[in-house]
Amino acid sequence: MGLFDKLTSWLGLKKKEVNVLCLGLDNSGKTTIINQLKPSNAQAQDIVPTIGFSIEKFKSSGLSFTVFDMSGQGRYRNLWEHYYKDGHAIIYVIDSGDKLRMVVAKDELDTLLNHPDIKHRRIPILFFANKMDLRDALSAVTVSQLLCLENIKDKPWHICASDAVKGEGLQEGVEWLQDQIRAMKT
Amino acid sequence: MSSVPQEMKDTSVACSKWLDAHYDPVANLYTFTSCIALSDLHGDGDNKLVVGDLGTGVCNMKLKVYRGTGLLSESTLLDLPTGLVSFLMDLHEPRTPAVAVASGPFIYVYKNLRPYFKFTLPSLEVNPLEQDVWSQAKEEMIDPMTLKEMLEGIRDKAEIPLSVRSLRYLMLDPQEMEAFVHLHKDQPIRRQTVITCIGTLKKNMADDDAVSCLVIGTENSDIYILDPEAFTILCKMSLPSTPTFMDVTGQFDVEFRITVACRNGNIYILRRDSPKPKYCIELSSHPVGLVRIGRNVVVGCTHETLHGYTQKGKKLWTAYLPAAVTTMALMDLPARAFQAVLVALANCEVHMYRDKNLICTIKTPDVVTSICFGRYGREDGTLLMTTKGGGLIVKILKRTAVFDDKDSAPGPPIAQSIRLNVPKKTKLYVDQTLRERENAVAMHRAFQMDLSRLRLATARAYVKALESSLTPVSESPTEPLKMNAVVQGLGPSFKLTLNIQNTAACRPVMNIAISFLYDENLYSMKTAFFKIPLLVPGLNYPIDTFVECLSDKGISDVIKVFVLREGRSAPLLTAHINMPKRHDLTL
Ligand SMILES: Nc1nc2c(ncn2[C@@H]2O[C@H](COP(=O)(O)OP(=O)(O)OP(=O)(O)O)[C@@H](O)[C@H]2O)c(=O)[nH]1
Ligand SMILES: [Mg+2]
Repeated sequence: MGLFDKLTSWLGLKKKEVNVLCLGLDNSGKTTIINQLKPSNAQAQDIVPTIGFSIEKFKSSGLSFTVFDMSGQGRYRNLWEHYYKDGHAIIYVIDSGDKLRMVVAKDELDTLLNHPDIKHRRIPILFFANKMDLRDALSAVTVSQLLCLENIKDKPWHICASDAVKGEGLQEGVEWLQDQIRAMKT
Repeated sequence: MSSVPQEMKDTSVACSKWLDAHYDPVANLYTFTSCIALSDLHGDGDNKLVVGDLGTGVCNMKLKVYRGTGLLSESTLLDLPTGLVSFLMDLHEPRTPAVAVASGPFIYVYKNLRPYFKFTLPSLEVNPLEQDVWSQAKEEMIDPMTLKEMLEGIRDKAEIPLSVRSLRYLMLDPQEMEAFVHLHKDQPIRRQTVITCIGTLKKNMADDDAVSCLVIGTENSDIYILDPEAFTILCKMSLPSTPTFMDVTGQFDVEFRITVACRNGNIYILRRDSPKPKYCIELSSHPVGLVRIGRNVVVGCTHETLHGYTQKGKKLWTAYLPAAVTTMALMDLPARAFQAVLVALANCEVHMYRDKNLICTIKTPDVVTSICFGRYGREDGTLLMTTKGGGLIVKILKRTAVFDDKDSAPGPPIAQSIRLNVPKKTKLYVDQTLRERENAVAMHRAFQMDLSRLRLATARAYVKALESSLTPVSESPTEPLKMNAVVQGLGPSFKLTLNIQNTAACRPVMNIAISFLYDENLYSMKTAFFKIPLLVPGLNYPIDTFVECLSDKGISDVIKVFVLREGRSAPLLTAHINMPKRHDLTL
């Protein structure tokens, strides 16, 4: 086995299995987004705040995804870091209508980016500036400014505005993420 | 990520425990801690900030509701708010809390931000004499001037104070009186007090979403507890003075405790089933803020101090503050079992105290006039402050923030409070203490006697030394001199240096000579007698001379130095120099 093959198998990519961490503050819409990505017959009707975390698996364009839907509530946020090591990609969801807690979203993102299991890895991060349908929602550009995303130099990242309830904007983001994962494979 | 932007770094150094969520310096909010509340007004888990805005104090009084960083709604208040609370008044679904705004003698209750009920304080007894006088005026039996005089008479003597109408009448100019009487004579006289503070008390359950009674304090020194639904008076209690700050805990039907700071500078503690205060804390200066934390009461006073008391009025500690207190609030974080007292100061700082320990200082851009901590929006640890200039500051406690109990205020080190491992008292020690206790008087006398003897002996020796001028300091008023001698060298040749100083303030000393006395078999000196030049006050005169040791037996002797005055036989000073033994180099 060549060195590169070893590396990819260690990353779990050989078996085309990808672990995605879905992070973000409580009420940002993580579960709603993941629910939208599921096939329509498997979608849940009622979405309640997640307790701890939940795991969703689905296949898309030859890749099999395992999504860790973490709870964003303050008391569960310390669970996040235990999954960093095994994650191959991160989806970070922001409630664009919650201006007050933008600092908290930034603080948690900074903590995430500085974590030893994340800091030196080229792990792709997809940002959803969710709830763009709200009247006083901030634009994706403003959100990326407030979170200082331009400072992320050593990781591929992408931000798109979304409305998880109607499912708008999700496809664009997910396609970007798949491209990134494929690029990592080859 | 290596590059946190500069601006973020700066704020994180200032107080890394708080995130700056929002600051609007021109929010146009003018209020005090008693007039703000955090409440889940719509029952959607998104807490709002409800503010009774005092406006300019004359106009523009408003009830404002903030959601997140923006104003959600505002409605006009008819009068200055003195207090505002949010409370659950019934069990109906959805369980949305009502808002009660106290102003003047009224409580305006809002449900879903719409006026719902107006409670009026019961009117007080009117002085019958006052009533009489007004009815005479009504029938025009007395003219306005006589009415004024009679009212003044009643005001100065009567037990029951005058009504607001009469008091206003007494302030009028004579030409306005007639019209005033005409306007008011047909209305009945009413005497009413006003509300000074308001709080809530759970009815019969301790849950967070339990129904609560309103508790109000009045200018008339009374406390009323109102039924949450019917707004009838459930209970009335009297205080010796007007209440200004109030804290209520417990349940009305079970057991409760009302802690009130009053305008007379005392704190009273009222309990269920006691119409009179149970405990009283007398403060050394007037209270400006009151917070109950667990079983203790923390009061901020006008003298820049913070005191901690037990619920029974025992003083626990005092902390000294760098500036005057503007307002205080409780910081309660039940999820982390953390409680502290927030004290806003006039020097644009907010201090956080846990017991008497200062555990965090927050600098603010303006003086904070109202402060509250709790769940705002969806964030449990939010600190909201409004400032003197009308600004609104929102800070969020970091999830990872930890406060160590170490006192960050300068003061005695912690080591001071560590208990030393003191060994147990021995039998000998106990016996000794007993003996001391029994014979205290005799021991004291013996000690005093010995002390007197010691003093006498000292005095005698001193006098003797003075008489024989044996001291190196001359006490003679005309020649106050000081001398010391230094011997240098290993021998057989020694260098002798005498340092002579005139200690007078301004008078020089003249005609002084020095002579040495020594055993001529042992030592030889080039000059054993020489004159000293005029001694200027204050200067040190070193005088050198050489001594040769003649003996090689390794013995030494004393050389005596006399400072002499021309025409006087007794020396002014005497010094005995103990010469060292010679240490010849054995080559
Ligand atoms: N208007 C609007 N509401 C949304 C959108 N996305 C999610 N929501 C709503 O936001 C609320 C919270 O959504 P969740 O998906 O439970 O949020 P979460 O991030 O999983 O929250 P936690 O599990 O507590 O961490 C729900 O009431 C959703 O209906 C959106 O795009 N627009
Ligand atoms: Mg969820």
